[in-house]
Amino acid sequence: MTFTQLAFYFFATVLIFAAAMVVSIRNPVKAALFLVLAFFSAACVWITLEAEFLAIVLVLVYVGAVMVLFLFVVMMLDINLARMREGFGEYLPIGGLIAVLMVLEIAIVLTSGGFGEEQFPRPEGHPAGFSDTKELGRLIYTAYVYPFELAAVILLVAIVAAIALTLRKRPDTKYLDPARQVTVKKADRLRVVKMPAEKRADRTTEGEA
Amino acid sequence: MELNIQPILPEIFICAMACVILVLDLYLKPERRTIAYVLTVMTLLVAAGLYWQDFATGSAVYLNGMFIKDRFSDVVKIAICLLSLLVFVYSREYIKARDLFLSEYFVLGLFAVLGMMVMVSAGHFLALYLGLELLSLSLYAMVAFQRDSSVATEAAMKYFVLGALGSAMLLYGMSIIYGLTGSLDISVVRGIVAAQAAPDNVILVLGLVFILVSLAFKIGAVPFHMWVPDVYHGAPTSSTLFVSTAPKLAGFAIIIRLLVGGLEDLHFMWRDMLIVLAVLSMLLGNLIAIAQTNLKRMLAYSAISHMGFMLLGILAGTPNGYSAGLFYGLVYTFMGLGGFGIVVLLSRAGYEADELDDLRGLNQSHPWYAFLILIFMFSMAGVPPTLGFFAKLSVIQAVIDVELTWLAVIAVLFTVIGAFYYLRVIKLVYFDPPAVAAREISATADLRVLLSANAVALVLLLPMVGPIQEMCTQAIASVVGAF
Amino acid sequence: MIPLTHYLVLGAILFAISMVGIFLNRKNVVILLMAIELLLLAVNINFVAFSHYLQDPAGEIFVFFILTVAAAESAIGLAILIVLFRNRRSVNVEDLDLLKG
Repeated sequence: MTFTQLAFYFFATVLIFAAAMVVSIRNPVKAALFLVLAFFSAACVWITLEAEFLAIVLVLVYVGAVMVLFLFVVMMLDINLARMREGFGEYLPIGGLIAVLMVLEIAIVLTSGGFGEEQFPRPEGHPAGFSDTKELGRLIYTAYVYPFELAAVILLVAIVAAIALTLRKRPDTKYLDPARQVTVKKADRLRVVKMPAEKRADRTTEGEA
Repeated sequence: MELNIQPILPEIFICAMACVILVLDLYLKPERRTIAYVLTVMTLLVAAGLYWQDFATGSAVYLNGMFIKDRFSDVVKIAICLLSLLVFVYSREYIKARDLFLSEYFVLGLFAVLGMMVMVSAGHFLALYLGLELLSLSLYAMVAFQRDSSVATEAAMKYFVLGALGSAMLLYGMSIIYGLTGSLDISVVRGIVAAQAAPDNVILVLGLVFILVSLAFKIGAVPFHMWVPDVYHGAPTSSTLFVSTAPKLAGFAIIIRLLVGGLEDLHFMWRDMLIVLAVLSMLLGNLIAIAQTNLKRMLAYSAISHMGFMLLGILAGTPNGYSAGLFYGLVYTFMGLGGFGIVVLLSRAGYEADELDDLRGLNQSHPWYAFLILIFMFSMAGVPPTLGFFAKLSVIQAVIDVELTWLAVIAVLFTVIGAFYYLRVIKLVYFDPPAVAAREISATADLRVLLSANAVALVLLLPMVGPIQEMCTQAIASVVGAF
Repeated sequence: MIPLTHYLVLGAILFAISMVGIFLNRKNVVILLMAIELLLLAVNINFVAFSHYLQDPAGEIFVFFILTVAAAESAIGLAILIVLFRNRRSVNVEDLDLLKG
């Protein structure tokens, strides 16, 4: 067994374990952490397929950004953990059975010959110095420029939607408007009042804020 | 590689206008937000004009095979522009009364339209997927837009989860087809699949099943319809209007692009699967609609059954069948627009006229609106002097042509069952005593006029049935003839 | 060496796990969203594997776009979740019962 094979089967096992934990565990924080593990293992599996750029993107985007987002939301929403634990594992056996059957069916079909080793021999590795990133970058900015622009629009929609749905001005929060702070004039804050002089007072004017 | 952007000019225009409205909103005072609305409507009108002016004569492929411009795409795109335009006009007062009159709503709507345009023209799995997601993501947000409403957000959550599931299924199916053919370009896939199309190619069947299931999810065919009633009912009616009309046409278009454009040689496989989907949709849609007391839910189940009818045209597998399906889709979307338009018309601030009981005795106070309801219900039921009748007739004709007479009999049977609950609405409107003493309708003139025109068109366009069907035939011919 | 089918079966296992997770999860919408991410990961494994064995970069490009869309999707999903939580004070799937479908 070569090192690549060893790495593949190890990371694949970890990936399956982590995925199973994500869907079966009740605590959402732990689930998010297992999801991080799952994505990390998947990235390692992709490295055995010479998809280095995507593997790194998976770690950066998912582990770095999306999972942080998930954890933020989980922490922000004050989820009732006690209720989460109710009825733990009630559906687990039947769910496991369905999953196993589904995998068996798909696996039987997929291994039925069409994707066998004769039709799809493992290709030779790329020569040393080959840059996966460069190749993808070249294609994305030439042949795939239309989807690239569409992806940009999709991200814009996500921004607009997320802000439109969640941004709210709470009436009970006090906040400062820097623009108004800067443009404030002396006359807005200070009023000079003329008062007749009083005999025993020293001050003739009084400032009001 | 040369980059010809001429054919996608209308799409670029829609995208640019959405961005303009987004930025403009920063400088608009809330009371002048009508400008954003006017701009949105103008954008859709101009886009429809651009498609009309540059109407395709044949079929051409641009942007490395990702963008197809043919008669089919232009017909469907013009319909999508007009439908979305009417949706925004119909729902203006409704969203104003519910504090949803925000520029973001219109921006999301325009992006959804852009997504549909991309889907309709998709010649590549990637473009198809991105268009679909652009549409879906915008729709999720539009359904959740009434964010202080418990039902709307619940509907959005259900829509989101099932929609994401549908997209994932589509991707899984695409990945298998990609593995078999080594290409993501639908026309290349077509060539290779044609060579491999054998009934014992189980891998191909697996990929096809995943793709069909996801398409059924997206158009809401039984047994993948669970989200339809909840989303239609829970969403603010303005969003229901949007979700229930133009996206159905876009869904039809991707079925044509995938099944006819790409996998037509597998017709013998997908025909039987579509028969199951169509029969179940007509059965469940019509039967469950009878039990509904809520008008929006009733229309949702009716939409499910109409999708079943639309599938009848596709499963026939002949150019005639496809064009009957297209004709059905066009007619249905305008009927559905009217059906939900009625709910918008009768609603006012703080009051949703979405219970069937709200319609009781409408004829006594508003005979004209009662008449409009009569036309919409007759047309949906497929009662003769309406477009709905000819739509049903053409799909049933298409299945008879391919010797599926038993299916045609079933379709007629379900039409009769379906007529029951449409006629019940008419009975409520005309023959029941009014539920509320004085009913006031605060709809604006543009809504009244356009909704009336929408209803009357379903009858007055009858002499045009021939030309419209001819247009559908030519549109389909440009897809089928491209190979 | 590792045959293509092993990667495909890995993808299928992940797909099945997350699918079952979505249908059987009755407690927590957050985990539902995570299962959707896993579903897309399973598809991505398929695409990367095919792309490698076909020696065709198109599959990897597709994965690039799926990752982009998945990030956008989870942003919107979480936004809807937050709005839902503000209305309901709960993320329990069983509490999503105002609409009977």
